[in-house]
Formats: sequence, structure tokens, C-alpha cells
Amino acid sequence: MSKIREHPPDAKGEMTSPKEGDLKAFTVFTQLQRGDPHIYAGCVDAADAKMALQFAREHYGQDQPCVNIWVVPKQAIAATEYDKDLIWRYTDQTYRLARGYAKGVREKWEKIRAKNDLDDYEKEDLKEMF
Amino acid sequence: MDSLPENLKQPMIDLLLAVADDKLMLGHRNSDWTGLGPILEEDIAFSSLAQDEIAHAQVIYELLSPLVDKTADELAYGRSVDQYRCAQIVELPDNFDWAVAIARQFFCDHFDRLRLRALSHSSYKPLADVASRLAAEEQVHVDHVDAWIVRLGRGNDESKRRLQTALDQLSPMAPMLFEPVDREAELTGAGLYPQAETDMFHAWRDVLQHVAHEGGLALELSPPNAGAQGGRRGHHSEHLKSLLDEMCEVYRLEPGVAW
Amino acid sequence: MSGSSNVGMHIDHNVQEDPEKLAEFEAKIDAGQLIEPDDWLPQAYRTGMLKMAEHHANSEIIGALPEGEWITRAPSLRRKLALTAKVQDEVGHGQMLYRVSQDLGKTRDQMLRDLITGVTKYHNVFNYPAPTWGDIAMIQWLIDGAAIMNQKSLADGAYGPYVRTMKRINMEEAFHFKCGEDMVLTLMSGTAQQRVLGQDAFDRWWYPSLMFFGPPDKPNCRNLPPMRWRMKTVTNDDLRQRFINRFVPAAKDLGLKIHVVKKSDDGMVIEKQLDPNLHYDESTENWTVTDPDWEEFYRVIRGGGPCNKQRLGLRRFSYEQGRWVRIAIMNGRAGLPPAA
Repeated sequence: MSKIREHPPDAKGEMTSPKEGDLKAFTVFTQLQRGDPHIYAGCVDAADAKMALQFAREHYGQDQPCVNIWVVPKQAIAATEYDKDLIWRYTDQTYRLARGYAKGVREKWEKIRAKNDLDDYEKEDLKEMF
Repeated sequence: MDSLPENLKQPMIDLLLAVADDKLMLGHRNSDWTGLGPILEEDIAFSSLAQDEIAHAQVIYELLSPLVDKTADELAYGRSVDQYRCAQIVELPDNFDWAVAIARQFFCDHFDRLRLRALSHSSYKPLADVASRLAAEEQVHVDHVDAWIVRLGRGNDESKRRLQTALDQLSPMAPMLFEPVDREAELTGAGLYPQAETDMFHAWRDVLQHVAHEGGLALELSPPNAGAQGGRRGHHSEHLKSLLDEMCEVYRLEPGVAW
Repeated sequence: MSGSSNVGMHIDHNVQEDPEKLAEFEAKIDAGQLIEPDDWLPQAYRTGMLKMAEHHANSEIIGALPEGEWITRAPSLRRKLALTAKVQDEVGHGQMLYRVSQDLGKTRDQMLRDLITGVTKYHNVFNYPAPTWGDIAMIQWLIDGAAIMNQKSLADGAYGPYVRTMKRINMEEAFHFKCGEDMVLTLMSGTAQQRVLGQDAFDRWWYPSLMFFGPPDKPNCRNLPPMRWRMKTVTNDDLRQRFINRFVPAAKDLGLKIHVVKKSDDGMVIEKQLDPNLHYDESTENWTVTDPDWEEFYRVIRGGGPCNKQRLGLRRFSYEQGRWVRIAIMNGRAGLPPAA
């Protein structure tokens, strides 16, 4: 082991160096395959977007195959509030969803097909009778 | 070709050892930074690059393995100092000075990228296949280190001074990366290592200087003296012995057993 | 490797919370909802979560140090790669957990400074030495095994950003543990010398791994804020018992002996005897072992462990050494055209 790891300089007392503050936070989105959506992966702190991309590819791009990365300044993301901003309405919303029609459509098909069968049967029936 | 002509086996072994040993020692030095980098994010990134170097070394040792009838680990851990073929610049400790680590990386990564590109055109097909894959990864390293050179060069007076000092310290020894292994010219002649040595040196110097100048840094590089003997012929700095003593501490307890 | 289960929580009783909002908040917790940073939070929850995430982050980056010592000595290329990646993961976990903490209102810089000046703490377990390769195997098996148990329980918590981070961390932690298991299996099925390395390291790490889960439970721990607010979900003693039940039989299978040990000030075993209390209780289906020495636990927390000084010294060295780099990129001229 290196000497510094084994015997680091003595570290007593207050810090003499002034506070530094943090770099800028960037939110990272990774895309696992071409064509997939980019998905939230985490954050990196960096001086600018170029550095953030460099950091993100090694931090969030290495634990699974990844083909593309976005970084966005965290501050640039505006968000709704959970409790204040109602997004999904309380009233019945099935009128705007496929599942709101599934049962009706199925039943209507069944009815029409049953009627067609009956018509066919009756036609054939008549043919046979005469 | 898929196999080597018998008479060129030995120089090819030396060349592959040079490639792998460079990468192993550089990866070894850089991996020691894991947990101690200047910024957590860069700590992570630099560690990935270190892992790439070690993984590249492993791939090359595996390529060598059937030629010398030794496993990759035996090649990495089981030789005497004079049997290594790395250049002296990768042996150098950095004492956790980021400027030295980045400068060392700068010289080595650019050299490695050019070397791997040349090898990707080798007439020895197994090597060409491996080299073209590794060259693509090496490009990531080059981009990473170039960005640091420019950033620190332009950063502030202190960062510029520190990086300039590190470049000045390493630039006299860096060209020895180009020291040929024994009978390298024969490999080149046979298309096994297709490179025009002087062209490669100039390409290396030009790109390094271009990046350094972009960072406002000065960089002078002259070709190695013909006949200068260094790591490629087994002449190493005193640092390699202590590096190996540390690296092989556990391995040597019982060579050959699984760990 | 990590752990954050043992942070005490100070409640400032001068802060009067709006009882209606507090009730709403607690109802959300009881309903199993996740809490997000922009939600209304009781002050004590905010400070408690910050303290917990910060302690966890500190533990990750200090935890990178003992194993980091062995990257340069790993005995094969594959082990070297794996150990580098593992220590790198810990730095990554630290980065993510500092981010959770930063979003609760403290800069990373301040957290690093508080860590190296001793204002904040990190996990006790990293104040023990790793003198051989056997220790690396045992740390990854025992301590990472303990960390997974702990962090799985923390992933059932209520604070969204922390829970999401735990889930990501646990995926990587699974690699650490498997890799540790592989190293321990290799050692214990290896040569006589390797088995001794394994047993000696096991003796050094058995008690630190039992202490990993924190001190014995307080009688009312389930009603105190950390559990009431689902910052943690399983008590220290329950986690410890799960660990014992899993690792005692595994140790026996591997031929590892469980010893009660006495250690020197530098953390080396100077006396050991087979654990006289080791037995399986049929009625409770639990393994029983001799309790850790809790006086030692508190002594190490107060800075009296074998490696406290070395760990903080190295962390401080890294901070001071990297300062010029951070200053240069933060306030530098990187965006400007090249200097003349």
C-alpha cells in the first residue's frame, strides 16, 4: 500500500482552507437501447454540461448497457406539486381510455355476429324449404 | 493470417507484452486513486478508465497466453522485473498529485490510441480484431483526458502552473513510449505492426501539442534518441520493482493457487 | 458496504409543528405513501433524514478506504478489476447519497468538511483494520452481507429519494456480496495457508459485523420517530438476529469457527476461545451467540478505534489535495478562448 494511504498526514483541528461551495447539479437520463425512452438515472455535480456528460457516462452508464445520455441542469426542471396540483381528474375518465369501450364493443360484436348467424340460418332454412 | 510465422514469434511476444504491460501498470497506478479523487464524480470516472486499462491488459495477455504457454495472471504477476516491457513513464508514482496523473494519462492514452489503431491493421488477425475493439474504448480515454488538459490549462493561474510543471516533468521521458522492442522493424516489415515509426511519433506530438495549446500550455517533445535503452528492452526505473513487490504481495504467497 | 441504521435523532421540542399538517403527514406514512422533498415535512423529519443520508454517504466514502488499500495488491487480474469496481461503487453510492442530502439543504462541500473535522460521523465498522487479503474477502462477505440486509429494510422506508437510492444501491450491493462469497469460498476450499487467512480474518470481522446493526434496541424504539416515520423499518436487534441466523450455519459449512475474541488497541486478535454460548434454540428457531462488547462499540464511536485517525487523515488529505482542481473548474476560465 502506498505510504500516503498507510500514513496520511496528521489531520487535527479546524480546516484552514475557505469553504468551496458545490458545483452545479445536473439531472441524468439514460437510454438503454436506441428507440427506448430516456429514463431518470440520478444526478451529477459538474462545472458545465460537457463535464456533466463525461461524469454521467461513467457513473450511470456502466452498470447496464446504455446507448445515449441526456443531462439537464437540475434547476431547469420545473415540477408540479403533489398535494396542490391535481393532475388526474376524479370524475370518470374511462371515456378517454380504450378500456372504457372494451366491454361495450365486445358485446356489440357478439350481438351483430349472432344476428348475422341467425339471418344466414334463416336464409339457408328458407332455401331448403323451397 | 491466423497464426504467426515461427521466426517472428519472439518479437511479437515482446510487442504484445509492451502493450499489455503499459496498460497494466498505468491501470494499476490509476486504480489506486479510487476513493481519493479530487471530485467524487471524477473519482468514479477515473476508476472506470483504470478498469479499462487493466481489462485491456488482460485481453492482450490472453492473446499471448497460447504463444508462451502461461496464463494471463502468470504473465501479469509471475515475471521478474527485467521481463516486463512497459515504458518507464507508466512506472512513475504520482503521489496523488492530480496534475501528474492527468499528464501521464495524456501522454499514454494518445500513444495507446495510435498504437492500437496501427495494430488494428495487423496482418495477424486475432490481434487486429482485439486491437480495433480496444482502440474504440481508448478514444473515450483520450476525450476524457483532453478535456482535463484544456480545463486545467485554462482554469486559473494555479492549475495552469501545476499542469505545466507536470507536463515539463514528464515530457522528457514520454517519447520513450516509442522505443521499439527488439526486432520490431521485422514485425513492421511483415505487416504485423503496420506503422511508420516517425509518422506515428509526429502524429502523437502534433495532437498533444494541439490540445496543450488549446489549454494555453507549452509542450516540447523530441523523438527518443536512436539506441536509447528503456523499458521495451527490460531496462526499468527503480519504481517498477516496488510497484511489482506491492502488486504481487498476495500472489507470491502461493503462486499458482486460485484466489 | 455501508449502513446508516444507527443515527440517533434529536428532536427540537421548541419547534411547534402545525398539528393538522403533522397528522396529514403521519397519515400518509401510515398509508404506505412515499414522501417527497417538496412535501410538507416536520422539521425533525427533515433534519433526521438529512442526518441519516449524510451519515450513510460519509460511511460510503470512508468505507472506500480500507478496501482501497488492497486494490494495488489484489492477487489476480479479475480480483483487481472486481475490487476496483467495488470500491468505485462505494464512491458512487456516496455521491448519490450526498445528492439526497444536498437536496435537503446542505452543500456537499460542507458535509465533506464536517466529516473530516469530526463534526459528523460515519459508520463505526470502518475504523477496524484490514491487514490481509483474507480481510477483503470477509469484509465483502460479512459486512456487505449485513449491509444488504440493512439496506433492503431501508428500501422499504418512506422517504422517496432515499428509497430510490437504496434500490439502486442494493443492485450493486448484490454484486459485492456475491463476489465476497466467491472469495471466501475460494479461500476456505484452498490451501492450509489460505484457510488460516480466512479464519483469522473471520475472527477480526465477526464482532464488527454484529455491531454493524447498531446498539441494542431501546424498549420503545418502535414508537420513536425513526421507526414511526418509517425512516427505518426493522429494529437493530431484529436485523442482527436475521444476520446471525443466516451466517452462523454458512460459517459452519465453510469450516469457520466462531470465536469470542480479545483484541489489542490496533485491532488484532490477541486471545480467542470458541464461543461458549453458540447454540441453536429449537423453540425460537434462532441461533444464539455471545453478545458484542458494547463498551468497545461506544469507545470506537468516540474516536478510540484502531483506524479512526488514519481514515480521517486520508479523507482530509484527499480533500486538501484535490482542492486546487475543484477551485480551478468552479471559478476557472474554461469557457474562455485559450490564453495567449
